[in-house]
Amino acid sequence: MDILTTIIQNLANGLLIGGVYALIGVGLSLIFGVMRVINFAHGDFVVIGMYSALVIYRQLSLDPYLSLLIALPLGFLLGLVLERIILSPLVDAPEDSTLLATLGLALILQNTLLLIFGAEPNSLYVSYATATIKLGPITLSLIQLIAGAVILVVIIGLYLFLTRSEAGKAVRATAQNRLGAELIGINTLAIHSLVFGFGMVLAIAAGIILIPQLFATPAITGPVFTLKAFVVTVLGGLGNIWGAIGGGLLLGVVEVLGASYISNSYRDAYGLVAFLLVLLLRPEGLFGKTVKRV
Amino acid sequence: MKRMWLMVFFLVGSLALAQETLKIGVITSITGRFAEFGAQQQAGMAVALAEVNAAGGINGKPVEILLEDDTSNVNAALAAAEKLLRSDVPIVLGAYSSSITNPLGQYFTRENFPFLVFTSSDDAITKPGSEWVFRLNQPASAYAEVLFDIFDSLNANNGGGLQNIALIHGNGNFETAVSDAALRLADERGYNIVERESYDRGVTDFRPVLNRFKASNPDVVFMVSYAEDSVGIMRQAKEVGLNAKIFAGGAAGFALPNFLEGAGDAADYVITATAWTKDVSYPGAENLYEKLKEQLGGKEPAYHAAQGYAGIIAAVDALRRAEDLSPASVQAALASTNLPDTVYGPIRFASENGYQNQNPIKMIAQQVQSGEFITVFPEAAAVGEIIFPTPIWNAR
Repeated sequence: MDILTTIIQNLANGLLIGGVYALIGVGLSLIFGVMRVINFAHGDFVVIGMYSALVIYRQLSLDPYLSLLIALPLGFLLGLVLERIILSPLVDAPEDSTLLATLGLALILQNTLLLIFGAEPNSLYVSYATATIKLGPITLSLIQLIAGAVILVVIIGLYLFLTRSEAGKAVRATAQNRLGAELIGINTLAIHSLVFGFGMVLAIAAGIILIPQLFATPAITGPVFTLKAFVVTVLGGLGNIWGAIGGGLLLGVVEVLGASYISNSYRDAYGLVAFLLVLLLRPEGLFGKTVKRV
Repeated sequence: MKRMWLMVFFLVGSLALAQETLKIGVITSITGRFAEFGAQQQAGMAVALAEVNAAGGINGKPVEILLEDDTSNVNAALAAAEKLLRSDVPIVLGAYSSSITNPLGQYFTRENFPFLVFTSSDDAITKPGSEWVFRLNQPASAYAEVLFDIFDSLNANNGGGLQNIALIHGNGNFETAVSDAALRLADERGYNIVERESYDRGVTDFRPVLNRFKASNPDVVFMVSYAEDSVGIMRQAKEVGLNAKIFAGGAAGFALPNFLEGAGDAADYVITATAWTKDVSYPGAENLYEKLKEQLGGKEPAYHAAQGYAGIIAAVDALRRAEDLSPASVQAALASTNLPDTVYGPIRFASENGYQNQNPIKMIAQQVQSGEFITVFPEAAAVGEIIFPTPIWNAR
């Protein structure tokens, strides 16, 4: 492989991985933008997605991508219920109470999964797990391409919802000014539940499209993705959905390029260095202000 | 009449004496994060205990295990050790994690008390070790050694042409220890390490590293990984089309049933080091495997179970031969252990190559052939031939 092909190959891999980061980050960003809640359980929602795909695959032998159809509505309901029980009583409390509440939720989720599935890593093997598609000299993983396609569909769906539907407009109104939204007759508590349900759906979708390529563990996987989601949203600007997408793609590319051309040992460090640089030099995020907020 | 009662009294008394049990102290993880491995060890010990007692115990006395939970925590382990010392056991066995076993070894050395290690693999436990600490299982560097023995043998007999090694390993203690041993062995035996990359646990995208390996075209890809990462590496090696004459797994993930399940056909031809297998040609292995599986309620036995079994067998053998049950006599009996054909392989405690009281047993190597683990090395234990070289991905 010559240098140019390697670079293109790495960029392609980075974008495909970054797409998954983006999907996770968008959920976190959406929840923060509308509810002003920093969701520490977000990575664990991704893990719930992974395990739901595993259970559906083992019980019903359903392909993980088809299990999206079952798991997403259930996940949405779970999100609604969790928001009602845990977060809505805290709606006017200071931000650190909701932060602690989601941190507690993360611990409960991790240990519940540990109790049910045990500590060992679980995965599922689909026949096309190692299939590739060749574009000239570039090799792309089929499951990563499927993941990319699912992400596109989900994000376009979210965009249409937010810009075209009445409920979507209400979500944006709540994000801009909760009091104002209340005054013009929007039930902002219901909007909060809705948004938390959507965040859950996005995280579960990410978990399901990830599980054919990697393992789920109850206690290790969740925090890894929570951290990635924070990096992504800070890169793009908290509460900014389009920024989260850009941040996710950027993080994927930075990680892969760093691992290829510097050293793989510091892979997580590259993202965190970018995170620190953004916090220092452009705290509103790379895409802050220049992009319309939700 | 009075004499008769006296006789009855003595008879009953002697019967009671004969029923007095001999207790072996064991410290391992019953709860906490190592509990799964502790459960495997306990299953092996239970099977061994049943066999020993069915055969009359130790010099007529039934044997019992006094089990103490270390809660996967070193402080609890040290407290348990103190408790066992006060409860009159002649020997203590333990534990699972090297981070617990190492301090235990130091404690028993200070107390001048015999301690038998049967699972923990950190080299430092017996290197330099002490005269009170004995280990029947292989140290971490043995994982790398057996693979280099295979490379040597392939180079000598099969015109292997193995020279350049690309090394990828997790950055945990165990994986780093094995890959450090690999670096040392490569240096000693004249191999080149052309790439060395480590990764954090939890990272499952190895494509950048594997693409880089591909560019340097190694003869051997040497991997030291746990369960989830071993699967990721092989799947992605297939995906990026990284070819090598040998894919060598320096434990631990590559030897698990999980690996076959997770990596599917990408697992084929991987050669991996392991401590024990059911098809190893040591006498009684298959039989032990069945018994262990039954003891575990149908769950797949890991090699830790066989090590638990071997631990009890070695301890009982030493106690049988010991002049009395004083620490010094048990230590002397352990030191003169010579069990050439246990189901775990030969057991004796040698002090050589910087080790002290270390069983010089080799690791076993197995190769995945058509989705099954086949023991291929050393010859004494092998049931199949190594398939070499590994066919390139497009030709499989």
